[in-house]
Order: sequence, then structure tokens, then C-alpha cells
Amino acid sequence: MRIRAALATALASAGILLAGWQSGAHIADTGTATTTSLSSATTSDKSSTGSTTAATYDGASVQTRFGTVQVQVTIQDGKITEVTALQLTDAERKSAQISSRAAPALRSEVLQAQSASVQTIGGATVTSDAYLTSLQAALDAANF
Amino acid sequence: MTSLLTPDSPAESTPAAASRKRPPAVERFRPQARRRLARADVLAFLAWLSPVAAAALWLADGGARGFNSWAGTATALGIVAGLIGMDLVLLMLLLAARIPFIDNTIGHDRALEVHKKLGKPALYLLLAHGLLIAFGYGAAEGLDPVSELVSLWVNVPDMWLAIVSMVLFVAVVVTSLVAVRRRFAYEFWYVIHLLTYAAVLTAIPHQFSVGGLFVEGSWQRWYWLALCMGTGAALLIHRVYQPLAASFRHQLTVSRVVRIAPDVFSIEMTGLNVERLAGSGGRFFFWRFLAPGHWWQAHPFSLSAEPVAATPTDRGPTGTGKLRITVRNLGDGSARLAHVKPGTKVAIEGPYGLFSTAARSRNNVVMIGAGIGITPLRSLLESTPFEPGHATVLLRGHGGSELFLGQEIMALCQARGATLYHLTGPRSAGLHTWLPQSAAEAGFTLSSYAPGIAEADVYVCGPTPWAASVIRDVQSEGVPAEQLHYERFDW
Repeated sequence: MRIRAALATALASAGILLAGWQSGAHIADTGTATTTSLSSATTSDKSSTGSTTAATYDGASVQTRFGTVQVQVTIQDGKITEVTALQLTDAERKSAQISSRAAPALRSEVLQAQSASVQTIGGATVTSDAYLTSLQAALDAANF
Repeated sequence: MTSLLTPDSPAESTPAAASRKRPPAVERFRPQARRRLARADVLAFLAWLSPVAAAALWLADGGARGFNSWAGTATALGIVAGLIGMDLVLLMLLLAARIPFIDNTIGHDRALEVHKKLGKPALYLLLAHGLLIAFGYGAAEGLDPVSELVSLWVNVPDMWLAIVSMVLFVAVVVTSLVAVRRRFAYEFWYVIHLLTYAAVLTAIPHQFSVGGLFVEGSWQRWYWLALCMGTGAALLIHRVYQPLAASFRHQLTVSRVVRIAPDVFSIEMTGLNVERLAGSGGRFFFWRFLAPGHWWQAHPFSLSAEPVAATPTDRGPTGTGKLRITVRNLGDGSARLAHVKPGTKVAIEGPYGLFSTAARSRNNVVMIGAGIGITPLRSLLESTPFEPGHATVLLRGHGGSELFLGQEIMALCQARGATLYHLTGPRSAGLHTWLPQSAAEAGFTLSSYAPGIAEADVYVCGPTPWAASVIRDVQSEGVPAEQLHYERFDW
């Protein structure tokens, strides 16, 4: 391979990587912008019998490029007792598959950690981020 | 003509040769050589760029965000390894697809050399992909890598196929390494290699269905689809369709088998449309003789004569051009070819290789051959253009009877004005030289026979160790790589 070709290859490689990285960073930015602009939590209190009160809070519905994610959290005696996914990424068959794998894992992590600061699920980063963002909005609404 | 001939007494040369001084001729093959170098650069450029592009796909998808935790880093690296690994696998398939552009540029054997070199890196990347993903996903879900793999197999569609694919890839590489070392039959190795297609096909579904990179609607999906489909199409066209088309187009039939030495014989064939194969003297085909006991084996042999097109007068019922190969019994079933019956139909794949005029870069040409490697030189000598006095042919053998087709070559040298040396005699016991012992002891070197070799195209064909020795000498004479044309012959 001649020097000119080697140089061209090196330059083109650097260019492609840079372009990829730039557009990747762009995607990350727009991703967070979308999630923050759409947060609007609604609360629906429910009283149950006995001394304990369980309240459910709907999280913000978060748009992702794979679909909308919204979760509902149940808080009882100052603890997160349940997280239900009202909507999960289902834009395509594959996203639905990812969601069905990620949601149970996220739920158990959240119940264990009692917060929205948990690891995202490998291979389901977008869904996880949206799930946790929606959850955080719900927790904020609950002043949790 | 069995004695050793010294450089002072070439076997034959024409009167037109050295005596007549001419002005330095225009180097008519320079443009062709420049184009070939440029094509080689383009190929190298694309080959290097494609794995980079694979990594860039992932970056463009915001993949670098994964580097925020141990698990995320492992997953991210795993995805990149998988992308580059798959890209290398596709490159390997393209290199083995016998695409004319690649064959005309770097030649079949160089393409396969690169193909082999990519095997291990591709396997390591795919293994790293599997392990890193198992670790990364597992760590994110609090599972150990093995449980994660089990959970992926059970819970995620297409993942079981991906795991099967990984096992197949490992099996293919390990068995082909063993097969090469143990010198298994070509057919055994071939069947193992067919498993590669199964490995690649089972790997593809999970790339599109698991992981977010190639989701429906993303441009990355289209790029990757195009890459996979393009590779598949290249294989189907050049490995399946072209051979079938060539076999039907030429309808080759064995006309006779002529023994020219105790273990060497020529197989002559007649066929249609042979004029389309003009200029392929020296190149090789895979030959499949369609007779009981033969049809399952495809043998790589070079043409030992330039194809002869049918003249308008002899278009009869059998009517037709001629092809010839010359075969030495190297075991592996080639001995039985001596018993192929006239009338046997022949299926072909080819022509392949750069051992032809397409590789020329200079007006002068030097051909060096030994053993059965002489035979492709015979057809190259017949067809490649040169002015009288601008070609030198060196034939090496133990005795004159080993200079196969020696009479024909001498006649061609006389007719075309090439200088011919017969280098016969036992090989040197102590010296590592490709020359006969007597010539080496007398102090002759390559430049004694071919003084202008630094400004010539050099074609070398013979047994690998012998050829390696020739190539060392050729390079030390200052012949640049673009002028050196070497064909492996013992495979």
C-alpha cells in the first residue's frame, strides 16, 4: 500500500470516527432535552383501610425514538412498594422485546434501591433511561 | 538438451535478439500496472475503512454514553468488538468470493492470504464480543456471565442462534487450523468451511433484533443490511452462478489424455465459445470431471496452453475450441485423472489468478519455473506480448525428462525470440540455492542468466521452498514487488 493511500485511509478513518462521535453526541443531547421538556406528573391519591396509606403517582411520559415510556409508582409507609409500567417502548417488535426484558429487571432494582438511581439495563439503555426518568418525575411528585 | 547450459550458451535464442539495437521502447504495460496499483490502493482503503465505519455506526448511535460504569463499559466494548468482528467476517467472505475486481487486482492467492490473516482477529473479536456482553449485561442485572448467557438464550429471541453461531465459529477456526497442520484433504477442509456460512447466517438475526443499533428505520440498519446482502450476492454470483454459467457456456468435453512423463499427463478438452477465454493462458480453473468417482472433486490446475478458439471452418458437431491442462500425480486423486475417459463432461470455475498478461508492468519478461510449475509458464510464454529478445525463460529440473513440455517451450522460444536456459542437475546439498549444484558452484547467479531482470516482469512458478529461494534472489536483484508475479502451486 502506497503512502498516499495509507494517508488517505488514516484521514478518512479519523473523519468517519469523528463524524460518528459528533452525531452520537448530538443524539445524547436531544435525548435528554426530550425527557425534560415532557415531564408533567399527575397524582391520584387513594386511601386504603387501616393506618397505612398507599398512594400511586404517575410519572411523566417520556418520548424516546422507540416509543413512549411512562411508569406509575406506589408508595406506602414512605416506601416504594410497586412500580408499574403504564407504557413501554413498543415502536417495533424488537423494542417491545427489549422492554419486556428490561422492565422486570428495572422494577426489582428500583424496589431494592428505593430510588431511581439504579443501573441501566445492558442492551436496553434508551428504555432504561426513559423508565428511570419517568420514575424520578413520579417520585418528585410524591416528594419522595 | 538434458545437459546443463551455461549462460554463455543459451539453449536457443533468435538472431533478432541482442544484436539489433533499438531506441528505448515505450513501456506499454506501465499504464496497466499503474491502474492495478491504484485498484489495490482502493481495495486496501475500503478494507481498512469498513471496520472503522462499523465502529462509527455505533458512535453515531450515541454508543459512547455506555462508558459510565463497569458494566456499561464492558457492554460498549462488547458491542464494538461484535461489530468489527462481523465486519471482518464479511471482508473474509468477500475475499473468498472470487470477485473479478479483487482477482484482477491482487490475485486469487493473495486474496486468500489476506482472508487467512483475518481469521484469527475475527474469531478473537467475536469471542470478546460474547464474553464482554455476557459480563456487561450480567453485571447490570446482578447476574454472573454464565447465568446471563442462559437467561439470554431462554428469554431473548434470536440469542440462542447467536450462541450457536459462536460455537460454530470456534469449531470452524479450530478445525481448519488442525486441518491445515495435518494436511487433510482439500474436501474435508472445504466441508468444514461450509459451516462458516451456517455460522454467519445464524449470527445475523440477533444483530438486527437485539441491541438498539440496527432498529427498523435507522440508517445504520440500511448500511448493515446492504453490507450483508452485498456479500451474500457476491458469493451467489461469483461462487455459484458464474461457475454454472461458464460450465454451460463452454460445454467442455475431454478429448484425450496424453502421458508426457511417467507421472505427468496432459488432459485436452474441446468446448464452445473458447475465444472468450483468450488471454487466460497461465491462469487456473477449478476442474470438475463429471464422471463416477471424479465429480465430487474440483482440482485447481493452470492452463498449459493458450486456449485455441474454433476457426470458422471447423465448427462441426464436436466443433470447437481447445483447452489443455497438464497434471502431475501429486496424490489426492490427481493420479486417477489419468484414467478420465474421452467424452467426459467437465465443469469449470474460473479463470482465476494473476499469472497472466494482466499482471505485466514492463516490456521485458523473465519466467522461472520448476517441475510441474513449468506448465503455466508454457501457456504464458505463448500468449504474453514481448519483442524478440526481451524475454528469458529459466527451466529447472533434475534431468531433462523433468522439463515438462520442454520441446514445446523450446519451439515457442525459437518462434518468439525468447532466450531459454535449461538448468538441470541435482540440487545443492549445502547451499540454499534454487540453482543446480553445478551452476551454483560455478558461480552463476540469477543475473548471469537474466542480466536485465531489475527492469523486467518476473514470473515464478514451482514448489514452495524452491520458489521462496528464487524470490529471495529476485528481490536481492532489486526487482520491486509490483514486477514479481508468483503463483503457489502446491495446494
